[in-house]
Amino acid sequence: MNTNRYLAEYVTLFTVVVVLALVPLGLGGSAYYLRLGTMMLIYMIYTVAFNIIFGHTRQLFLCVGALAGCSAYISVVLVMRMSLSPWASIPVGIVSAAVLGGVFSYVAVRRGLGVIFVGIVTLVSSMIFGNLILGLRAWTNGETGIETRGLRPDALAPGLTSYYVILGVLMLSLVFYHLLMRSRAGTAFRAIADDEFAAELAGIDVTMYKVLAATVGSALIGAAGAVYAYYSGYINPTVYGLVSVDIAVLVTLLLGGMGTLLGPVIGSVLFAVLDEVVRPLGGLNVLVYGVLMIILVITFRHGLVAMLRKLTKVRIP
Amino acid sequence: MIAILIDGIVQGLQLSLMAVGITLIFGLGGVLNLAQGQFAVVGGIVAALCIKAGVPALAACALGILGAGLLGLVVDRTLLIPAYRCVGEERLLLGLLITLGLSFVVNGFLDYKYSDVSLGLRLATPSFDVAGITIRTASMAVAAIAIVAFALLFAFLKTTLLGKVIRSIIQNEVGAELCGINPARIRTVIVVLSAMMAGLGGIAQGLFSSLGPEMGNGLTDYALIVAVVGGVRSINGTLAAGVLLGIINAFASYYVGAYLTLIILLGTAVFTILLRPAGLFASHP
Amino acid sequence: MSVLLATQEIEVGYGDMPVVRGVSLEVRQGEAVAVIGPNGAGKTTLFKAIAGVLAPRGGRILFEDARIDGLRHYELVKRGVVYVPAERELFPQMSVLENIELGAYTNYKSRAERLKFVLRVFPRLEERKRQMAGTLSGGEQQMLAVGRGLMAKPKILLLDEPSTGLSPHFVREMYRQLARLKAEGLTILLAEQQIPHALAFSERAYVLENGEIRLFGPSTELLGNPEIQRAYLGMA
Repeated sequence: MNTNRYLAEYVTLFTVVVVLALVPLGLGGSAYYLRLGTMMLIYMIYTVAFNIIFGHTRQLFLCVGALAGCSAYISVVLVMRMSLSPWASIPVGIVSAAVLGGVFSYVAVRRGLGVIFVGIVTLVSSMIFGNLILGLRAWTNGETGIETRGLRPDALAPGLTSYYVILGVLMLSLVFYHLLMRSRAGTAFRAIADDEFAAELAGIDVTMYKVLAATVGSALIGAAGAVYAYYSGYINPTVYGLVSVDIAVLVTLLLGGMGTLLGPVIGSVLFAVLDEVVRPLGGLNVLVYGVLMIILVITFRHGLVAMLRKLTKVRIP
Repeated sequence: MIAILIDGIVQGLQLSLMAVGITLIFGLGGVLNLAQGQFAVVGGIVAALCIKAGVPALAACALGILGAGLLGLVVDRTLLIPAYRCVGEERLLLGLLITLGLSFVVNGFLDYKYSDVSLGLRLATPSFDVAGITIRTASMAVAAIAIVAFALLFAFLKTTLLGKVIRSIIQNEVGAELCGINPARIRTVIVVLSAMMAGLGGIAQGLFSSLGPEMGNGLTDYALIVAVVGGVRSINGTLAAGVLLGIINAFASYYVGAYLTLIILLGTAVFTILLRPAGLFASHP
Repeated sequence: MSVLLATQEIEVGYGDMPVVRGVSLEVRQGEAVAVIGPNGAGKTTLFKAIAGVLAPRGGRILFEDARIDGLRHYELVKRGVVYVPAERELFPQMSVLENIELGAYTNYKSRAERLKFVLRVFPRLEERKRQMAGTLSGGEQQMLAVGRGLMAKPKILLLDEPSTGLSPHFVREMYRQLARLKAEGLTILLAEQQIPHALAFSERAYVLENGEIRLFGPSTELLGNPEIQRAYLGMA
């Protein structure tokens, strides 16, 4: 096996884990910044997943928040009502998200829905989810939300341990992403993203690969969503809403670079920094995101990784 | 029962006003305008500010609509140019993302600067009775406005040269170019027209209940659903879908409550898209 | 006779692929010129470039001694270059009359007179005035496409595969009308797969193969050319 082929990827993965592992040390013990860092890791996982679903197979799933929320609420409610252990209920959440995502994808492919219609259907589904949570008040406490502080395992309480646990989950997803992309599925994804029709003609089972990407991505989203529910100590529909999750993930992926390994990572770091910078502006942060989105989408369409590749002439993964 | 029906039809008409702009821009420009609701809000806020400054209500509303149109003009001539340079799905996606970003910019700005401003128009006679049913004057006003607006729109499209040109581009952009028509210039007309329809929808919302800066995204979402269910290229479809969804909304709200209603509406939308992606009434604009 | 339209070494392609290479041809005032060749030779691509629907990658296109390469098609219509593509590109949910009238967009106010003329050339269209264009038969749609093109008072008419999908009766009818128009001074450049009609109708012809001009000359000569006969006319 020619390891040199993936040397760049291995180096990148190693650098990422080392840098991210060292971050808490540079934070001077501030609990606030540690929390920010952990949130950043969660959003990184979301973005890696969205990268698989949208970056690689062009399925515009504007329901990342809803999928995460689904997994989170199912897991939390199971713990609350059925006294399940969180470690047992999180997998249930993950599976539900994966199944939902896979079903969306399957139906969309079978009906021949284009990118835009997938976007619209998933957008509307996000709205349905939000209203379901609000409506099923008996189970979910509706708008008031649920306190998960008493339900969570110690490993997920805010602090250094949870940071490294979540970092572990992130690294698992990055490694998984790498392995996925270098497998036959990865080649199929590239073909599908390039020209779906041609891929079909070339004999690639487009349906299977798209559903695979959606299922796997949704599972990751479910994992991050459920873990976040326990870590943050409190969930409500807004936390998993379009503005909180989907927009952030979209901007992050565009910023970092679709279809790359490093893209979600750099994008998330930048976005986290930006978020902090913009926070004192209060209500204006939405405006800044909007401006950023427009600029990114028009001029910077391929993201930072692509730009770095051009500048350094190195094939950054 | 009748009262609910009337309410539903009126709300539906107002939704259609919002949605027709999306249909026009999609059918002609090939762009899904996710900032449509923001145009409505801009129209409403401009009108509210004018009223605050002492301008008579009718003139203020006109200014509001013009303001929305102006915003549409600026957006088309600047932000949308990169989208127009692409074709087909690329253009759709880029346009969607640009307008999404725009919706945040407008929403953020309005929320920040004018969060305390809202448009609420009150009529002299709040309601009147017909055959034992109490009808809000505002409802009638909104219905009248919407019906007149649509009637004018249909007449415009059917009889005037510009209207025919617009229909021709929607049906076949290449064919239109073969006749010597410059699609880009017509696109600008459409965007401005759609923005003004949205502005009108915003004013109607102000009449019906009230319009505030935070309502932009909600309006866009509803307009989107109506446009998609009715068929993104069919204006008749948009009108029909709006009224239909408005009626469903009114009856469902009355019988099953807010959340379930929304879910029913949204579910209907998803169901329709999956069943007939081209729209329930797709045949011709 | 002066040269009305000329291409000089033009190159047209999609993405990385060149489809038309170094093609030079000319059409003189009042002539009918045919471009013939097998499927995939690049005839449609060539026509799209001349018409301004595609931008050529190299070379020049001249109309009335002015360069028109790089101009979009809608700008050329006013100058008198009218293109009727193989796909016809009609407005399916508008009536025949509305379709025809839009053809006169560049001179809309004075369309009435031109309309009379076109309806005389294609009386079948007069009968179907109020019918939706999408419901017409193939032959009628072709007539409508040409009729719509004529409304713009073209100096040169570019016809791409005008006989595709038409019954022999319609093909004869159409060429008859085209001959009439030519007699009244219209310059015509057409691309055809139906070689006999094309060569009978035109004065000169170019043979396009693999994006390059292989032969050209007076149509009568090409008809008698044994290579042409073997390759395109199926004669041994």
